[in-house]
Amino acid sequence: MNQAVSQDSRRTTPNGTTRFRSFCAPDEIRRYTFSPQFGAHATYRSLYTKRESLEKNAEKPDTNVSLALSEDDLIIGFGVLAYPGHGERWAELQPQVMMEVKAIEVCRSWRSLGIAKGILEMLLCHPLREDKIIYMVGYSWTWDLDGTKKTAQQYRGMLIRLFEPFGFLEYQTNEPNICLKPENLFMGRVGSRITPETEKGFKWLRFGMTP
Amino acid sequence: MRYPKEVVLKDKTEAIIRPLEKTDEPKLLEFYAAIPEKDRWYMRHDVMEPAVVRMMIKAVGRGNVFSTLATVDDDIVAHASLLMRGFGSTRHVGRLRITVLPEYRHKRLGTWVLLDLIQVAMDRGLNDIRADFVIGIEDAAIEAAHKLDFFKVAVIPGYAKSPRGTRYDLQIMVKRLHRTWSDF
Repeated sequence: MNQAVSQDSRRTTPNGTTRFRSFCAPDEIRRYTFSPQFGAHATYRSLYTKRESLEKNAEKPDTNVSLALSEDDLIIGFGVLAYPGHGERWAELQPQVMMEVKAIEVCRSWRSLGIAKGILEMLLCHPLREDKIIYMVGYSWTWDLDGTKKTAQQYRGMLIRLFEPFGFLEYQTNEPNICLKPENLFMGRVGSRITPETEKGFKWLRFGMTP
Repeated sequence: MRYPKEVVLKDKTEAIIRPLEKTDEPKLLEFYAAIPEKDRWYMRHDVMEPAVVRMMIKAVGRGNVFSTLATVDDDIVAHASLLMRGFGSTRHVGRLRITVLPEYRHKRLGTWVLLDLIQVAMDRGLNDIRADFVIGIEDAAIEAAHKLDFFKVAVIPGYAKSPRGTRYDLQIMVKRLHRTWSDF
């Protein structure tokens, strides 16, 4: 379970006031309703289609599940910051140094209202953020291009504009899944307490090597 | 797009990819001087001619050419360009040219440089990228392009001639840049 204290913020949008909550515990998540818009669409499927998936993530150590809630406690957006799974390249650097923004999603009717930015703010209010290398992977085949009416490149640009203000930089990597498509994206944020040796290890790891 | 970009090559060499700058002229001359004559023969321009390199430098910042360099310890080890017409029936097409120092070939440097220019092409809204290769001379580059989804659209038989007069076929390859759903 997570020891971090949950934070709360609010933002007024044309759809009403949105509340953002960080470090939501499973019990808290169970109190809210999951928007049915997080489901399968014609050309797109949400990363999580069940509230239970968020609850399971929230049980893991250091994991930050952040939610965006409408006035009637409907989950209209969510984000998950967690350690990479065993066997993933990014888990190899050092134990629990790298954390992944595993998900950040806003339901279709609440997009373009700054909700994703609010969720990301909540994810990154993590007390260990300066001790971690936080990264995100953008696979173009998971993007809702149909719902956003964007090209893959425009969507990619939108993600870069979302993450850059929080200190994320775009990095090259030979990770095979990321390399499958040039529009795929890998960004990282190196915490201020990361040592130069660890940062160097991160660089080499991006190319599947050890120094 | 963020530059410089760090890449680590197959032999653990660390290289930097960045745009060509006006101040790179002397280093670019040195770079082309280190390219073997047998490779320079098949280039579009005589890069041993200082005026040609100056022309490349003058193109920096112009809308129709975007050039990048790969450097190792501040020395240029690869030069690549994306050439765009900017008007007419082929304004959606970019043409690629990449030159890599012999000792940096087969280390994936060309692939990284190529991937970077593919990103540039996508950012500029191009639909297709074209690259021409001399079969029998640039087979490694053809193979690398294949891996990045370039496909053969035409072969012009006997189009290129070696210094001794041997004719080689020219292969034209194109990569489609999907604007929406990829073909994955």
